[in-house]
Amino acid sequence: MLRTTLAGLRLHKGRLVTTALAIALGVMFVTGTLVFSDTLRASFADQVMGSAEKMDVVVLPEDERRGTVPRDVLAEVRDLPEIDRAAGVTAGDAPLLDKDGRAVGSVPTLGVSVGDLSRYSAAEGELPDAPGEAALATVSASATGYKVGDTATVLGPDGGKHEFTVTGLIDFGTAADVSFRGAVAFTPQTAVEMTGAEGFAEIDAVAAEGVPRQQAVDAVAAVAGSGTEVLTGRELGERLADQAGAQADVLAAGLLLFALVSVLVAAIVIHNTFAILVAQRQREMALLRCVGAVRRQVFTSVVAEALVVGLAASALGVLAGIGLGAAGFALGADALNTGASGAAVVLQPGAVLIGLAAGTATTLFSALLPARRAMSVPPLAALRTSAVAAGLDRRPGLLRAAAASVLLPASAAVVFLSRDAGSPQAGLYLVAGAGMVAFVGVVVAGPLLVRAAVAAVSPLMRALGVSSALAADNARRSPRRAATATIALTVGATLITGYAVINSSMMSTMNDLLDEQFPADYQITGQFTDENPAIPRQVARDLRAAPETAQVVAQRSATDGTPGPDATWYSTLDGAPLEEAASAVRQERAGDLADVRPGSVAVQADYANAEGLGVGDPVTVKTPDGERGLEVAAVVEAAAVWSVLMAPEDFAAAFPGKGDEIISVVGAEGAEAAKLRDAVYAAVEDHPTLQVDSVAQMRKQFEDVLGTAFLAVVAMLGLAVVIAVFGIANTLALSVLERTRESALLRAMGLKRAQLRLMLVWEAVLLCLIGALVGIGLGVSFGWAAADAAFEDLIFSVPIAQIAGFVGAAVAAGLLASVLPSRRAARTSITAALASE
Amino acid sequence: MSQSAAQAAPEQSGTGTPPVVAARDLVKVYGRADSAVRALDGVSVEFARGAFTAIMGPSGSGKSTLMHCLAGLDTVTSGTVHLGRTEITGLRDKQLTLLRRDRIGFIFQSFNLLPMLTAEQNILLPGRIAKRRHDPARFRRIVEVVGLGDRLGHLPSALSGGQQQRVAVARALLGDPEVVYADEPTGNLDSRSGAEVLGFLRDSARELGQTVIMVTHDPVAASYADRVVFLRDGRLVDEVHGPTAETVLDRLVNLES
Ligand SMILES: Nc1ncnc2c1ncn2[C@@H]1O[C@H](COP(=O)(O)OP(=O)(O)OP(=O)(O)O)[C@@H](O)[C@H]1O
Ligand SMILES: [Mg+2]
Repeated sequence: MLRTTLAGLRLHKGRLVTTALAIALGVMFVTGTLVFSDTLRASFADQVMGSAEKMDVVVLPEDERRGTVPRDVLAEVRDLPEIDRAAGVTAGDAPLLDKDGRAVGSVPTLGVSVGDLSRYSAAEGELPDAPGEAALATVSASATGYKVGDTATVLGPDGGKHEFTVTGLIDFGTAADVSFRGAVAFTPQTAVEMTGAEGFAEIDAVAAEGVPRQQAVDAVAAVAGSGTEVLTGRELGERLADQAGAQADVLAAGLLLFALVSVLVAAIVIHNTFAILVAQRQREMALLRCVGAVRRQVFTSVVAEALVVGLAASALGVLAGIGLGAAGFALGADALNTGASGAAVVLQPGAVLIGLAAGTATTLFSALLPARRAMSVPPLAALRTSAVAAGLDRRPGLLRAAAASVLLPASAAVVFLSRDAGSPQAGLYLVAGAGMVAFVGVVVAGPLLVRAAVAAVSPLMRALGVSSALAADNARRSPRRAATATIALTVGATLITGYAVINSSMMSTMNDLLDEQFPADYQITGQFTDENPAIPRQVARDLRAAPETAQVVAQRSATDGTPGPDATWYSTLDGAPLEEAASAVRQERAGDLADVRPGSVAVQADYANAEGLGVGDPVTVKTPDGERGLEVAAVVEAAAVWSVLMAPEDFAAAFPGKGDEIISVVGAEGAEAAKLRDAVYAAVEDHPTLQVDSVAQMRKQFEDVLGTAFLAVVAMLGLAVVIAVFGIANTLALSVLERTRESALLRAMGLKRAQLRLMLVWEAVLLCLIGALVGIGLGVSFGWAAADAAFEDLIFSVPIAQIAGFVGAAVAAGLLASVLPSRRAARTSITAALASE
Repeated sequence: MSQSAAQAAPEQSGTGTPPVVAARDLVKVYGRADSAVRALDGVSVEFARGAFTAIMGPSGSGKSTLMHCLAGLDTVTSGTVHLGRTEITGLRDKQLTLLRRDRIGFIFQSFNLLPMLTAEQNILLPGRIAKRRHDPARFRRIVEVVGLGDRLGHLPSALSGGQQQRVAVARALLGDPEVVYADEPTGNLDSRSGAEVLGFLRDSARELGQTVIMVTHDPVAASYADRVVFLRDGRLVDEVHGPTAETVLDRLVNLES
């Protein structure tokens, strides 16, 4: 009796540890995310508030994107008795050149002025205070490699090169356009010269001694005039903090989604643990019932246990989560540009309470069903059956089969519907819904699936040896338990595989698009500025003259003058016959591209439909100088912005001032890559702002972005997989405990320790493989469905290598999950096990 | 197997053929120092080939312990146990496992069968563990004698207690082990089922020359044996040849007084 009690205690400890870990991990993720985002938000706010609050009054143009504050306002503000000091901030394009002499980025670097009175201070070095000095934004410095003391070149408004000594680095923090464009800061006078900006982007002022802020604001508002907005530094800070906070919120929402997946998986694991424990203690409970315990007492005892475990584990999870949040912030601070990696961790009561509540509630709810089941068992029936043998002779439920055979086809039908859904969003919602239905179907059919899967591999496992044969028999004995354990893993496997499929499909689709749209080796464009100046004609001429190039196509475009997205775009491609140059054309609906000569055009199919155009019809091209009549020679479908594609001669006549916008360069056959590169860069040598993209490099950048996203998603979902593996280990450990007698029997009959261990390894690997393979199946199907709904013209691609990796990981997970249970099973002494019960 | 072995069995061991199992000065102490329990206190005993021996004694007298030590399931504190020519007290766990696998059969009081295997699979399990091919003729004969013919495909949960024990007996005998150990094989059975199992054990000793060592509390069960040895406080105190239920009961009463 003592021995059983002790065994019970040991069992108690074991089940506490593993169940608690599953809950704690889920809670850790939730609390960690909350702590991380609270800290991030606080640090964003700190930073913008700190810089904005230096000013009492800030004057901004009402139209923040295009407007400016007139220069003379500054003098008037300075003259106000309420104002002590004031400074204007000049901002405009100031293309910074990298060490190779090429302009940085596809948008010109922002040039700003800093002076004695400035919201920003140097994070390293000093602010510039002489005409030949400049400070760089930290992002620009890391993009170019410039350090304090280096000489950097910036292009002036006339395109001339100006050299500056870098005196310092400025951390502009979350300022959205700086993190994208980078910035170079000059003294006020130099800033005006370098950017050519007319007005001020902002006027900052400090109130005179003793003047209340609001009074200063009112006084400034009186002179600032219309088209400006006057607010206190604090108000500006709050506005900026809100914007930055919104970034943190988006990040937090994304992370919480992953945290929820972890909690869901933890819930499945907890449910299974309690279900097993209740089944194992059925006799004990029946005995309780027989000696007079009422149903509610049995129910209460199970729920109370869940409550205690849930609370304790959640507390542990909250603690770990605080650590995780702090660590995440410390690591992520740099990447997220908070500029304050040393900031104190913000711990709000919400993060703690939500973590505790989520963990405890999840545990309670997961335990409710098993508790109810425990309650409903008639005491005598429970006394008669043993947990070990329970379920063996039960037939797989007809009900399950029926439900699954409704749910799974229903899911497939919804996926089918989603293909005709009007918008990508609607399609995605349908696919997500179908995914849920399918998941419920898999949950319902789980025991059948496990049975079928085990039956399928049984012959093989039997042939392999006694350990694997016994494992196959064991896996069959409680399909429900096995199914629940595997489904926890299925969740993670489905999501990871689904994302992998989407990722790989996007990759192949993008590659295909790149091939289609840029069948070139290099592409030359201007930097995006408000005017989008053309590429000088000389560039295309030089490129054509170079022996390394085979084809140089220049694209020019113009609109019919309609503002906004409704404009009709006219384009031409110069440098090769249209049918070769127009690589974006997928299909000729009518006519022939080769027939487009002076006097005729090709039109896109949807434009032709909208205008009722067919081959041979007249079409009107609206130019600034009036309308010109041309004839439709071909109707095509193309992945391009233009609606009308004209012959170069017609285009030149219609829009005489237009220069080249995009130049595509195809290298000559056999031209060395390095030589071609040199030739391209030589052609743009005198035009540093021109952007040269090699298609290979674009492809690589694209693949890098997708690859990073994939790793991030896998890492986020990884925790759910870890929790699921805990669940499988737990299930196995509990099974080992209830099979102590059997293990002893097997050992007495001469099964070696290693064989006993191997049996459990096989069992764990089998469970993990079933879970993973079902997940992979679902993931491939729904990854395809989701990608197909979201993207037009998707090229479906299954990442075979990655999936093989997942299968390998599942085997590894099984090995891991079996370590402790199998050690315990093999270590138990035969005589002690025979003596118990 | 051989008729002579079967006939030799009732005789005092050591006279004719060498004993199958021999224990000398067995001592088994559980725990240490102050709380030590001497479960076996210098037991020397031999079991002849083809003999059916019962071990009896009051509860806690060391019967199960003796059996476990004889079978290599447990280590001894001192003394030796031989199985045939092999001294098993010197063997390490791995060798003991192989020894049990290849040379010993077991029948326990309960939980004898693996619940997920059918009766037939349970019977064939030791062979599968040992990667041994079983002799189909022997299998058929044993199954027939045990009377399980139509029950072979059932799971243990669909068998009565007596049927389950008979499956266990068939399993222990199929591999033709040098010795079969049975720890209260009829402890959970009613007298009729118990009689079937015991009769079968006796027949296998007589007809197949199977050495059987059985632990029991029940004088009626012991009366099926050729010889009964009595344990008290870890010592061998008495023995009866050709026992009947009455003689066994007498001795037991003497023992406990
Ligand atoms: N693992 C153990 N640890 C400590 N003492 C033990 C252990 N196993 C048995 N004993 C003790 O050894 C003695 C002999 O036990 P054993 O199980 O051999 O008795 P038994 O004759 O089989 O009794 P029963 O008829 O009740 O089965 C007893 O006093 C028992 O308490
Ligand atoms: Mg005993």
